[in-house]
Amino acid sequence: MISQQKYWNPVLETLAHEKIRKLQLGKFKRIFSWAYERSKFHRGLYEKAGIKPGDIRSFDDIRRIPTVEKSMMRGIQRKDPFPYGDALCVPLEEVSEFRQTSGTTGQPVYQADTWQDWEWWAESWAYILWAQGYRPKDRVFLPFGYNVFVAFWAGHYAAEKIGAEVVPGGVLDTQARILKIQELQCTAMMATPTYVLGMADTAKNKMGIDPRSLAIRKITCAGEPGASIPTTKKRMEEAWGAKVYDHAGATEIGAWCFECEAQSGGLHVNEAFFLVEIQDTETGEYIEEPGRRGKMIITALDRQAQPCVRFDSKDIIEWAPEPCPCGRSFRLIKGGVVGRADDITKVKGVLLAPSAIEEVVRGLDGLADEFEVIVDKEGDIDRITLKIEILKGREGERKRIEAQLKDQLRLKTNLGYNLEFHDYGTLPRYDVKAKRFKDLRGKH
Amino acid sequence: MNAKDLKELDSKIQSMKKTAEELKQMGEDFPALYRNVSRLLASIKMLELNISDVAGV
Repeated sequence: MISQQKYWNPVLETLAHEKIRKLQLGKFKRIFSWAYERSKFHRGLYEKAGIKPGDIRSFDDIRRIPTVEKSMMRGIQRKDPFPYGDALCVPLEEVSEFRQTSGTTGQPVYQADTWQDWEWWAESWAYILWAQGYRPKDRVFLPFGYNVFVAFWAGHYAAEKIGAEVVPGGVLDTQARILKIQELQCTAMMATPTYVLGMADTAKNKMGIDPRSLAIRKITCAGEPGASIPTTKKRMEEAWGAKVYDHAGATEIGAWCFECEAQSGGLHVNEAFFLVEIQDTETGEYIEEPGRRGKMIITALDRQAQPCVRFDSKDIIEWAPEPCPCGRSFRLIKGGVVGRADDITKVKGVLLAPSAIEEVVRGLDGLADEFEVIVDKEGDIDRITLKIEILKGREGERKRIEAQLKDQLRLKTNLGYNLEFHDYGTLPRYDVKAKRFKDLRGKH
Repeated sequence: MNAKDLKELDSKIQSMKKTAEELKQMGEDFPALYRNVSRLLASIKMLELNISDVAGV
């Protein structure tokens, strides 16, 4: 019976490490040549560094290749071939999927995928779902807004691919979603940790339904690190009476790592599809050994329309010291993604750059320069409070300011805020470096 | 699964790919053929990623 098979791919997932490395090197050469030959952006970058495809013979050679940052992608987009610009490696008519990043760190980055890329997304997710115990008998509920963000789209297609039944919970509100899960006896679902807890709270406190009485027994999380944080994972598992698994992915990268049923405290990197390098943020040295944190530089080895070659993700990770008892040879990263190399943080599953808030506050007529942002938790849900001051003599415009502020914050950061208006001059002033952003979530 | 088994699987995948590519060429004036075979080739590529690539390692 295929459902009893432990691995989605029994060959690749148990391949000896030296063979995986050989496979990665070969595939890296292939994707590097592809990008070099077909994308003006990549070719320009590599020519400037004096590197040609024939120069890549070892992992040391790979490390000499310049990395790509999100800001570089922003710089080339919204130009021909519109809207992707010079990183596009296929004719526009071969692009079948559009997605974009959330844009909270600046302009959203557009991502083109061909149908083959989209198959690849689903394939990457098939590894995830199979490792987390999803099987053809499962009825999988997806409580997310199907839109321009990639989120659980690929999870949907992967669930179909492995033979499960998919129930799309798109525009339903939380209560309607819970009723649908109950009505159809859905056995698994995918959501952000915040929403997993929020749904449990709604079911229990607003609907009188114990989530444990529902048939959900597996939950796959993404978008926030919660499912790799033991206390949050425990809360979710206790609330739902289900196993909760983490995974990490990104629009520009793909679904690159996942937790398996063994729940050994780490996430497996899918090393057959991705090359993960870890670089010390201070020294630039590459880290091979377990226990040392660094930022991740990642290559998607098979993504074609808009390749991801040595992308500087700024995610902080470290290799785990022990292999996973599940038997997979794909290496583990300990505790998932443990932070970011820059000051961007995640609130309610959305990447938030404090500079985006500053941009809104400072651009709004009637507001003083000072502001303060406090992120904390209300129960299990992230809460973000923005304290601002109205300029003296402009107090009568508060309604207009409040409305504009809400609109612009939502537009620029994709988040809703509690707004607190303070008298002019009462918020803290700083002489040197300001501390306007306070994340109190880990301090209770 | 040993190397010989993988090579045999790869051989069948390559044969299927060749047939699909021939069909695609024959379908240039036949949208229902051309587009469906294009999708089929994307699925065949997933077989290559899962099996053919590693058969050569």
